[in-house]
Amino acid sequence: MSSSRLLSVIVPVREGNATLARALNAILASELPRDSYELIVVDDASSDSSPELAARYADTVVRLTARKSGAAYARNRGAELAKGEFLAFVDADVMVRPDTLPRMLTMLADHPELDAVSASHDHAAGAENIVSQYWNLLLRFGEQRHAGTSGNVASPCAIIRRDVFHSAGMYDEWRFETERLEGIEFAQRLEESGRSVFSSRDIPITGLKQWNLLSLCREVWGRSALLARSLGYQRTRVAVPSDVVFTLSRALAPAFAVLCFLVISAAFVPTPNATIKAAIVLLGAIALNFPAYLSFARARGILFAFVVAPLHILMQAVNGLGLCAGWVLRDAVGDREPDATTQAYAEVGVEIWPPVPRANGR
Amino acid sequence: MVPVGTEATTNSERAVQAQAFADAMVMENPEDRRTLGLTFERVRNRAEPRRTPRISLIVVLPENHVVSPDRLAEGLRAHGNQDIDVVVACAGQPTNLSALQRSVGDAQFLLAPAGTSTEDLRELAMRQVPGDIVTLLSGALLPAVGAEVPLVMTS
Repeated sequence: MSSSRLLSVIVPVREGNATLARALNAILASELPRDSYELIVVDDASSDSSPELAARYADTVVRLTARKSGAAYARNRGAELAKGEFLAFVDADVMVRPDTLPRMLTMLADHPELDAVSASHDHAAGAENIVSQYWNLLLRFGEQRHAGTSGNVASPCAIIRRDVFHSAGMYDEWRFETERLEGIEFAQRLEESGRSVFSSRDIPITGLKQWNLLSLCREVWGRSALLARSLGYQRTRVAVPSDVVFTLSRALAPAFAVLCFLVISAAFVPTPNATIKAAIVLLGAIALNFPAYLSFARARGILFAFVVAPLHILMQAVNGLGLCAGWVLRDAVGDREPDATTQAYAEVGVEIWPPVPRANGR
Repeated sequence: MVPVGTEATTNSERAVQAQAFADAMVMENPEDRRTLGLTFERVRNRAEPRRTPRISLIVVLPENHVVSPDRLAEGLRAHGNQDIDVVVACAGQPTNLSALQRSVGDAQFLLAPAGTSTEDLRELAMRQVPGDIVTLLSGALLPAVGAEVPLVMTS
């Protein structure tokens, strides 16, 4: 309750019964003294018992009871209440290590030129199924390749100076009601305003969410389509090259070129054989994704890399289709906006709780 | 409903849309307020439109725990001059309720069976309070004999 705490840890949650307790327990097990930080959980209109579960651990629980508003909106409501000098945004489906938050704070204290620090996924995954393990390693692969001073507040665990967060306009709660791309957009804004964000490859977190094939396809589709539609592919790639959309799509253009080459070449094969052609295409696909497969093999073994190879190609296909859909929507419909009533309400400007999403100066 | 941004949309229509949205924002389903053998008086009905968030402060007092006046005052001050619903969740029967009632006149009391853990008290209290923003304040272990007189303690 002290008004002069160093850190405010903000955890947005929606339907978080499966992972919230583990995530909050991990935060409380941090090496930071308990009175040096406040723990704020913002419940985004969950229908389960997430608020009650959060109350077991948190200093403050915010209930957004009206309707689902998105992680960006929930994080902003938490930040408005926060009193800490630094704001830590930790998702309800990740587990920090005891030294994660202290190390991030130390990094910011030792480097005043830094404005924000984000963590990266470790090898472990909270869920044991192949799909969750693959996704966790894929996120880690991108984060490790592009770690360093590159804008990335997209991580599920990031710390930012409070004054910087507010002066940059907070997360964009206008467009990101459903997809979790608010960190990427925010990173772009920070980058453009000359702020320095450091994504560390040595500060690990563990993803706890259990994915299945359908939920993963939805996630990849949603991210790709929204990124292409609202943020701009090239612009985002410059600001946040570590995002999983770019990890998946980086091989798409060469893959398309190789595939065209093979199709044309097949016409000149003396004895056409479907098996040989398929094998050539498969080898081409593996060669194009070799760095990712190598990373998977190092983490989980060669067998795992072979097992997830088709899954990876499927995700690349979904990613490519999502990007195309985003571009089409951008040209045909325009940028994403909230529904008409929300816009009308924002325009009239009547105060109410929970507040209407803000347009971030647009 | 008239889409915003069309020529046919007038300011008054937008205001109507806004009010409809506002009404939708504050409609809530009646909650299952189980008492689980606890003594509790509901604070207020929450299903009414409001401009500002309703704030609740839960003071959690497991057995042999107390909360100091300073800490409680700090918890109340944290939200400025806004109205705050104060709920004291106790495990067992508190012995000096009158002291707390003097400090926070309209505090509500949630009396759970002796031995209820801090976490369970927090969860039970959270089910009962009406606040949109709920601050939880845990008591400290009862000080040794001769220490400062606590504001409230449980048996």
